[in-house]
Amino acid sequence: MKRRDRRDLLRTLYPEDFRARYEADLLQVFDDRRGEPRFSGPLGGARLLAFLFRDFVVSMPMAHRRRRNDRVGMTMSDFLHDLRYSFRMLVKNPAFTAAAIITLALGIGLNAATFSAVNGILLRPLPGAANPDRLLQLYRKWPGMDYGSNSIPHFQDLRDRTGDVFENVAAWYFQPMSLASDGTSERTMGLLVSANFFQTYGVNPALGRTFIPGEEDRSPGAHPVVILGYGFWQARFGGDPRVIGRTVTLNGHTFEVVGVAPEDFAGPVTFASIPLYVPLMMQMQVDPGFNRIEARGNNMMNVVARLREGVTETRAGQQLDAVLLQLREEFPDAYDDQVGTTVVPQMEAGLHPEIRTAQVGMSSVMMAVVSLLLLIACVNVANLFLARARERQREMGIRLSLGAGRARIVRQLLTESLVFSVIAGGAGLGLASVAVGFLSNIRPPIDGPWSFSVDMDYRVLAFTILISVGAGVLFGLVPALQATRSDLATAVKGHGGGKGKGSRSRTSSALVVLQVALSLLLLISSGLFLRSLQGATRIDPGFDDPANLVLASIDPALQGYDEARSRAFQDRLLEEVQALPEVRSAGLGSWVPLGLDNSDRGVGVPGYDFAEGERQSFHYAVVTEGYIEAMGVQLLEGRTFTRQDDANGPPVIIVNKRFADHFWPGESALGKVVETAGAERVVIGVVETGKVQSLGEAPRELMYLPQRDRFTSAMRVVARTSGDPQVVLRRIQDLVREADPEMPVSDVRTMEDHMGVALLPARLGGSVLGLFGVLGLLLAAVGIYGVMAYSVAQRTRELGIRVALGSDRRQMVRLVLGEGMRLALFGVLLGLAGAAGAAQLVKGLLYNVNPLDPVAFSLVPLTLVGVAALAVYIPARRAAGVDPMRALKSE
Amino acid sequence: MSPETELARILPLSPTVFHVLAALAREPRHGYGVAREVEELSDGNIVMGPGTLYGSLQRMTDAGLIEEADNPGEDALHAERRRYYRITGLGRSALRAESQRLARVLAMVQERMG
Repeated sequence: MKRRDRRDLLRTLYPEDFRARYEADLLQVFDDRRGEPRFSGPLGGARLLAFLFRDFVVSMPMAHRRRRNDRVGMTMSDFLHDLRYSFRMLVKNPAFTAAAIITLALGIGLNAATFSAVNGILLRPLPGAANPDRLLQLYRKWPGMDYGSNSIPHFQDLRDRTGDVFENVAAWYFQPMSLASDGTSERTMGLLVSANFFQTYGVNPALGRTFIPGEEDRSPGAHPVVILGYGFWQARFGGDPRVIGRTVTLNGHTFEVVGVAPEDFAGPVTFASIPLYVPLMMQMQVDPGFNRIEARGNNMMNVVARLREGVTETRAGQQLDAVLLQLREEFPDAYDDQVGTTVVPQMEAGLHPEIRTAQVGMSSVMMAVVSLLLLIACVNVANLFLARARERQREMGIRLSLGAGRARIVRQLLTESLVFSVIAGGAGLGLASVAVGFLSNIRPPIDGPWSFSVDMDYRVLAFTILISVGAGVLFGLVPALQATRSDLATAVKGHGGGKGKGSRSRTSSALVVLQVALSLLLLISSGLFLRSLQGATRIDPGFDDPANLVLASIDPALQGYDEARSRAFQDRLLEEVQALPEVRSAGLGSWVPLGLDNSDRGVGVPGYDFAEGERQSFHYAVVTEGYIEAMGVQLLEGRTFTRQDDANGPPVIIVNKRFADHFWPGESALGKVVETAGAERVVIGVVETGKVQSLGEAPRELMYLPQRDRFTSAMRVVARTSGDPQVVLRRIQDLVREADPEMPVSDVRTMEDHMGVALLPARLGGSVLGLFGVLGLLLAAVGIYGVMAYSVAQRTRELGIRVALGSDRRQMVRLVLGEGMRLALFGVLLGLAGAAGAAQLVKGLLYNVNPLDPVAFSLVPLTLVGVAALAVYIPARRAAGVDPMRALKSE
Repeated sequence: MSPETELARILPLSPTVFHVLAALAREPRHGYGVAREVEELSDGNIVMGPGTLYGSLQRMTDAGLIEEADNPGEDALHAERRRYYRITGLGRSALRAESQRLARVLAMVQERMG
């Protein structure tokens, strides 16, 4: 044994401090011993080795004893030692390190980003609100509608009669506002709020004051004051503190700025950053035309209540029921159909409780997909570690044979993998913050202060740490256990992998199968959703070519016009638009399909009794003559509206086919009566059933009311063009400006762009899933290639021997290919079974696509099998082509 | 800590420690010298390999039973590499106490075995 070998032996055998102290002496003693007669000569050498080995086994615990004496300190030093060793390994093999860390960072980053989105929209309480766990959202409950809005009088009664269970009850609703100051005007979406709005959310102003309950919620129209959102204050007024006390023009009226909301409170919802808050009592000034303050049946407000300390939700619910009974007594007409009050904790409301199930479903799918991605990344890295563990098998074998505990070595290997995963976690956080920045900058294609409050808080951090450590254990533990299970003989001989049928190759085979199965599951899931989105865009919306349909919104009342002036303005504009050479037909409508602004109205039908719990209110649009023609909605029976369908004529209504079939199945609806909007209306036409809210919905009832009879100020110009739609859009804006230079025109776009809103969740989901799918495919391909190629490369020696013994190279490639493909096919079967199960789980979220979609279920497995075949074939050919002598010597 | 309680903590000595102390009782020795001396004292029953030897020496140094000594320089060839050890006062007391304890045990055993 040479001196250097002895030194190396010492290094592996003894703890470092011991070695540092006694190395020279130990080596000296070794020499001295070798000088003794009994240890000299070849036999003596063997005797000496045996002697040293026994000595080592005996003295090892002793040399390490001090560790046990001072447990914490020494465990810490163990850990530091492991850590240092891990960093050395990290630097030693940069390619390996980069591959492992990039793969993991990708997996962890995507998880963190997706979790940020889910956290921002669904999980975390409203940012900026004090004690959000005591905030409840209240909805009126009618048959078939659990989450009904509240009217102003109803809200006021709730507020005044629930003082012993709620500290405060506040209300708010969105209102388009046109703000003019310093000679520029812009249209945005503000909130009308009760005076105690900020107190209820527990929010203090950044500047100035909030509204004054008891004063600014009493006399209608008496307090023209406005509070600015922080972001709006920064953007529009440059964060100037002198803004307090200044006057601005809101919808044609002068308002005084009295405060600025704090930076961390962007409003009562997580999908908008509110620019303007105006007291509810100013409703008639900013939202003229209809006095909502008096109308108990006009439900459009969201109500939020703050529970008193020590009061339970149940107790609050009882109080609300009691109040409802009182109100039913006092206003029998207004309350005979309300069956209760739905109470939803603010923290559980999400975007809106009505779509919470869909949100939770979609979020779960996203999280499941990114978890799969992370799992695949883990398998990839586990494979890398396993490969490296094989290279280090000799080291492990010697350590084990010299008495190092298996637990100790597993701990060392785990420390290494944790170091990797923690670094990858850090990189993943960086990736995630880029993705989150991108997400929070997504603006839906509609005018308004819409943006998602997605950012990274401590939950995201905790989540990331958790998955990083989890991943580290996951991809580190298996190779670690594997590495320490080596039998001494093969380890010391140095080619444990050469046998090919050992447990190590079993682990490797299992990884191949797992890799293929996981990839398949991931790709089929995202494939299904992509197919489903594709299906959605093929759905017939029920109107003609959206690309040649242009829209523009105007609202004369926002400029302070009364009804007569508004009508005159609308009529003139409509005539001018119809006269444009590029316009074939045009009309005005309060509503167009597939937007976010849907209104519904209660109806009665003589001779029809609503069943218990059946929905009694239906979507409607107020439209002028020309609207149905311009939209290209097909008329099935009767006629459309004319200018003569006004307040002087008999009340009329047009319904869609679904509505007609609902109330008069098997009969013609023409001439039938619908009681709605304050009159008994005769059905004069039936149109085809189009999509109302979303492309994926089941057929919905829809009613059209004539605008000549039911005046509405906020209308959209709807024009069918034969020329360039962009030209028509510009001309419409010019026409409005000529009539009134200060009249804001908003949502100026083609129907196709407008539908982008309806398709936004689908498109967003589609592009995200598509991205995940591509990344998944990449990871899977790299992973499958890596796993397969490595297991083949392990057999280079065996293949070399076979070639040397006269095996036919081509035949051998076929043999290896066959073995590899068997594993891949097994993985495919496993993955297909998993995907079929997963598809059943998400069936409800797919539309227009079979959960066992043949395209997804055939294309994906074929692709993966192709990748796997390539991954086996290339290294197998290389291995078979290797010169047998070199293969033999390579060990 | 008083010498008595310190001794009580150390006693009884393990055979190896007892022999190492005994080997150093007369003069300082280097590691290999200790090992050879121990072998002789124990009639070849205790053969200390390097790990055992230096492990013991380390622990005994830490416990204050022995300490490193100056190299007397008699072995010029290896002088710079050899570490010498000598017994401390505590080591001597421990050795004495242990010898007395062993003597008592010996006497007792002889008496009982008649």
